[in-house]
Amino acid sequence: MREQFEMVGIRQMPKEETSPKEKWYYGKPVLAVAVLTIIIIGCLFCNLIMTKDPAYLDLENCNVPPCREFLFGTDAMGRDIFSMIWYGGRISLFIGIVATLISTVVAIIFGAVSGSAPKWADTLLMRFTDLLISVPGLLVIILLQAIWGKAGVLSLSIVIGITSWTAVAKVVRTEVLRLRGSEYVIASKCMGGGFFHVLWKHLTPNFIASIMFMVVMNIRNAIIAESTLSFMGIGLPVGVISWGSMLSLAEQALLTNAWWMIVIPGVFLLVTLLCITSIGNYIRKKVNRRQSNL
Amino acid sequence: MKNSFGQLIYFGRKLLFFLASVFLLSVAVFYISRLAPGDPLVSYYGDRVEKMSPEERVWAEEKLGLNDPIFVQYIRWLENAFHGDFGISYKYKMDVAEVISARIGNTLILGGIGFLLIFGLALLLGILCAWYEDRMLDRIICGIGTVTSCIPEFWLSLVLILIFAVNLKWLPSSGAYAIGEADRLGSRILHLILPMTVVVMGHLWYYAYMIRNKILEEVRADYVLLAKAKGLKKQSVMLRHCLRNVIPSYLSIMAISVPHILGGTYIVETVFSYPGIGTLSYESARYKDYNLVMLLCILSGIVVIFCNMAAQIINEKISPRMKSDAVTVPAEVTKV
Repeated sequence: MREQFEMVGIRQMPKEETSPKEKWYYGKPVLAVAVLTIIIIGCLFCNLIMTKDPAYLDLENCNVPPCREFLFGTDAMGRDIFSMIWYGGRISLFIGIVATLISTVVAIIFGAVSGSAPKWADTLLMRFTDLLISVPGLLVIILLQAIWGKAGVLSLSIVIGITSWTAVAKVVRTEVLRLRGSEYVIASKCMGGGFFHVLWKHLTPNFIASIMFMVVMNIRNAIIAESTLSFMGIGLPVGVISWGSMLSLAEQALLTNAWWMIVIPGVFLLVTLLCITSIGNYIRKKVNRRQSNL
Repeated sequence: MKNSFGQLIYFGRKLLFFLASVFLLSVAVFYISRLAPGDPLVSYYGDRVEKMSPEERVWAEEKLGLNDPIFVQYIRWLENAFHGDFGISYKYKMDVAEVISARIGNTLILGGIGFLLIFGLALLLGILCAWYEDRMLDRIICGIGTVTSCIPEFWLSLVLILIFAVNLKWLPSSGAYAIGEADRLGSRILHLILPMTVVVMGHLWYYAYMIRNKILEEVRADYVLLAKAKGLKKQSVMLRHCLRNVIPSYLSIMAISVPHILGGTYIVETVFSYPGIGTLSYESARYKDYNLVMLLCILSGIVVIFCNMAAQIINEKISPRMKSDAVTVPAEVTKV
């Protein structure tokens, strides 16, 4: 009986088994994470790696090219570059993270205030942010630091932090505008939740993903800013070892053609920045992309 | 008739906003620079300051008009500024406007040509990458681009100097021209190559990547499907339809980027000791050359505000919805 009728309609295709055979690391920045971890661990436990005292001025061995005793050579003041890199990395990374923490906190508070304020205040605050965005950040940092005078690790972090929150703040504001009408926010407010309670418990978990990319990039930018400032001689003094202040001796290195003084700290800096960037790009790419119509 | 009157009001409001911004900026800079620690007398008298007796100091401060309350000083400065007198530079002992005009040309050449190069090359690279999306060429360019965008400008300058000036001795490492050859074009061009490379490399990928992503966004729009169904070639869809939608927002982004690119030349100028505005403003901020700081900040401020407005006007022309709204700077336009 059954065979007399033929099924019509969509032809049944044997389902192709698309087993997820991809490895777990596919598309993930494994290399970047690994290298960055090595650098961070090396910097944290620099006492175990360092072959010399990084601050010791070995005046008999100035400008020594890389050799067995001084793995990466010595700088114009006779300090061992190999030891300095691990030791100085701490400060560079520290400034990057502290400055980003400061800027993120400022951005979240500013963006949330702007997003939940009445319209005129919101417009005013956003105008202000727009103006700040269009001023080159590094320039403001240089001017502030030049006016401030002597810089320390913390003061540098603060200056970098308070000049780099604008972009994140804009995104936070947009997200807060979108979220502030949701039921759970209203419910929380009705139950007497304060501004910071709502912000921390209900809003932040929802927009943290969308600012993550920029926050990671802010770490990178802060490290660049620190090294640029230190290089120009308005950041950390030569005595405080960081990747930037190591490069501030570059002028003398150029005269003596001591490439290792410039290239080696710079490569470390660059590799770190690259790792951070590719991690940031991975975070951004997780926002899915549609198929091309072309 | 009504339309032109409306436009008059529109531009009047813009002008008013512009003037108010410049005024506020000048007050802020005036107060910040004077309240900050530091001794302006050092930049005027040099090391002699240390040997001055207190009476001489008072006399010197009075001569420079520094012992009045800041408010009085500001009013005096504003009055003079309206008459075109911005005071003298403490360090150069010349009219501030003269000091700046002697140097501004160099910065404009470096920044201006750099800007045009970035503008054009970014467009080309962006289209190229979008065309070969996710294929070999795109991946290679993206890889190289990501690396170059990570290199700090000052370090790139150092490496270039190390390679091309110190070791190969092909190009000069500092200055804007060889001594005594200020008028020779060849000498100037030779001195421009390295700084220009750094300026372009520092910004290029950022904008190219933006173009690439914007085109790729367009490519996913529905009208592309229609155009393709009509039988148009990939070439004409991408260049005549997608690109046309991308260009206006690119223009507005480039307008906002002017101050950023000029700001980028500041660092390059310092490394290459290129006599431009950058080195000057750094010096003046550091050594409390008040009048010079003021005029430089106001000039930069004018550029920033003006470019911002240009971007806003372009945006309003593109989509009239944005009228009265602030410029919506896309989140990506936030490079340091």
